[in-house]
Amino acid sequence: MILAFLGSGALLAGLVLAAFSALLSFWAGSAQNGVMIQVGRRAFYATAVMILGASVLLESALLTHDFSLAYVVEHSDLSTPTALVAAAFYGGQEGSLLYWALILGILGSASLLASARIGLRLAAYAAGIMAVILTFFLVVLVLVASPFDVLQITPPDGLGLNPVLRDGGMLIHPPVVLAGFASFAIPFSFAAAALLAGRSDAAWIAHTRRFALVAWGLQSTGLVLGMWWAYHVLGWGGYWGWDPVENVAFMPWLATTAYLHSSQVQERRGRLRGWNFGLVILAFLLVVFGTFIVRSGIVPSVHTFAVSSIGPWFFGFLGVCLVFSVGLLVFRAGGLKSRGEPAPAVSREGAFALQNLLLIGVIAVVLWGTMLPLVSGMLGQPRVVGAAYYERAAGPLFVALLALMAAGPLVPWRHAGAPFWRSMLWPAGAFVLMLAVLLLAGVRSVPALLGIPLALAVACTVVYEYARAAGRWRLAGGGWSRAVAMVGKRRRRYGAYLAHLGLAVLVLGLAASHFWQQEKDVALQPGQQVSVAGYALTYAGLQNRELADHSELVASMTLGDQTLEPARATYAGLGGQSLTHVAISSSPIADVYIVLVGTSGDGSASFRIFVNPLVSWIWAGGVIIILGVLLGNAGERRIVVALAAAPVRSPVGAS
Amino acid sequence: MIRWGIAMAVVAACVGYLVYSASGGSSEYYLTVSELRSHSPAAGDVRVAGVVQDDIQRSEGGLHLRFTEKDGTASMLVDYTGTVPDIFRPGITVVADGRLGADGVFHARAVLAKCPSRFSTTPYTQ
Repeated sequence: MILAFLGSGALLAGLVLAAFSALLSFWAGSAQNGVMIQVGRRAFYATAVMILGASVLLESALLTHDFSLAYVVEHSDLSTPTALVAAAFYGGQEGSLLYWALILGILGSASLLASARIGLRLAAYAAGIMAVILTFFLVVLVLVASPFDVLQITPPDGLGLNPVLRDGGMLIHPPVVLAGFASFAIPFSFAAAALLAGRSDAAWIAHTRRFALVAWGLQSTGLVLGMWWAYHVLGWGGYWGWDPVENVAFMPWLATTAYLHSSQVQERRGRLRGWNFGLVILAFLLVVFGTFIVRSGIVPSVHTFAVSSIGPWFFGFLGVCLVFSVGLLVFRAGGLKSRGEPAPAVSREGAFALQNLLLIGVIAVVLWGTMLPLVSGMLGQPRVVGAAYYERAAGPLFVALLALMAAGPLVPWRHAGAPFWRSMLWPAGAFVLMLAVLLLAGVRSVPALLGIPLALAVACTVVYEYARAAGRWRLAGGGWSRAVAMVGKRRRRYGAYLAHLGLAVLVLGLAASHFWQQEKDVALQPGQQVSVAGYALTYAGLQNRELADHSELVASMTLGDQTLEPARATYAGLGGQSLTHVAISSSPIADVYIVLVGTSGDGSASFRIFVNPLVSWIWAGGVIIILGVLLGNAGERRIVVALAAAPVRSPVGAS
Repeated sequence: MIRWGIAMAVVAACVGYLVYSASGGSSEYYLTVSELRSHSPAAGDVRVAGVVQDDIQRSEGGLHLRFTEKDGTASMLVDYTGTVPDIFRPGITVVADGRLGADGVFHARAVLAKCPSRFSTTPYTQ
């Protein structure tokens, strides 16, 4: 009881502080009042502290099983393992909104603390915008979806967590995805603040880019973890289903990918200013739109979401953000004329511009597919599109993007001369070689014949760039300390190449498992053998196991010297809901993926068996991308200092 | 600036063409059982949402299923071979993807369940 009282109090105090911080920051920013700017900023930090307090209270209510709270009753019970009870903090609607606000408070505070170089006025506006966003979340948390609602009668036990979610993946996937979503608000706030303040110098670019990279890294991790979770838990043999919920997480990632590339054009050449603002703003709008879609349930999805009262609130928020952002771009874009002279089409600038257009094209394809049920529903009977639509419409764009990835890093800025065409021989050679190998192996599918050799060419380009760097290093005398210094000096570049390499590895995994997945449905008697894609599996028999919160029917399959145990778990506590436990034998070449479909009294069992080539490459590629982000993000400071020291090349002309 | 405009127009035209050609062939109607019954069955695949009834028959070791999908008053018999989601059982809402055969039975290529997400526990009622 007292806990609920304190929690609601903390949220209410946070709301007041956030609103105060927003008003004060805008006023002090426009009045250039340094003291009041500081006060507004402190109020933002205090808001974050209040949200942190509320989060700690909710978490302790969960861990102490305080069933007087409706949220605790609805998302946990006494038999759930402690780690999963803790995860229920972000496992429900109200808690996930609180978690979102928490991440925004923490990252927002960090971005303000690190904003010393970008100018007081701009930082004040950014603080104001972030405070407005937090105010929105706190209004929803206080008025509509409070995690601290108290039940009139305290039940003895809770309803528990859905079995599908009782998995280790639950501990890492949702928090990373939600944190990724929340983090897009930071670059948005600084972009909108720069438009309001009428400036976009080098220090601003570096600051915004840094937090865009944080958001991109979190979202990349979240997407790969989501695929990993779907693959290991859901038991349909795949990892990506083009469901609206996946699409809305993918679109802001695409927009931010575009920004991370095009912002370099602004940094180096002073061009694409307005465009860059547009991309950062687009990423955030896609996040708000996605949240609205996902939480309101207006689009048919395999994921059902509780039809909740927060839908209209997010719709209103989306409208406000849209009007504000478009207004800013329209009224402030006049001053965003590019200063640098245009470059020829075959140049780094040209490659980035084309890449941006293609990424926007992919966003358009995905957005259309996601929105189609809504749009067609307004005109008549709703229509939906499946994976085939996305593959056909986005596939060619992905192929073009891969080709650009193979060539882009080799193209010099401004002008491409003979050395560029010579260096292009490497990825081109890799492409042709792989193409020949695939043709000889009898592959005739055009997408596979383009995608796989292109992914290899991308990897080849990265290796070529690293080899060039190694050559320079050897020429300079070699040695470990010099290698560290050389990488350190250009961390951003080598981090980005590492991310490219990771994506190439990931694409190889996606392509191989997409084009050459094998699938077989079998019913077997104990002792019987089956062969799928050259893997011989023997079914040994069934056994029953009783565990703490569920019982399992386990089938034993032998594959060589390994025993695989696909199972069906039944949870007595939840109306006898059952859950498949997939058995996967993973190797760098292929995964053998077994689902126990059904059993009968005589000990026979039926299985669906998949052989998925190169799936483990997807996870490996994801890890390499994250390493690249870590390496690249660590190297920002030097560049910020160098750029901030240089004379401001071109402030935005407006105001 | 002009070249930028041309590049945009070219990419936009390509994307428009891709979306148009891809959605023409692969979009499906999303219906409830009663909507399927009241409209004449459309050519091509459709997705039909309804509630699974208490008459699930499994054969071939559980891989082949027959069950009734119902929505309000209208119902249809669904025939399906393959795996169903874990939460498949009487009372849940599923979306069957396939077509209505001349035999009056709906032959499904896929059966999707509304997946319980982390946002969807039923509120506690006393």
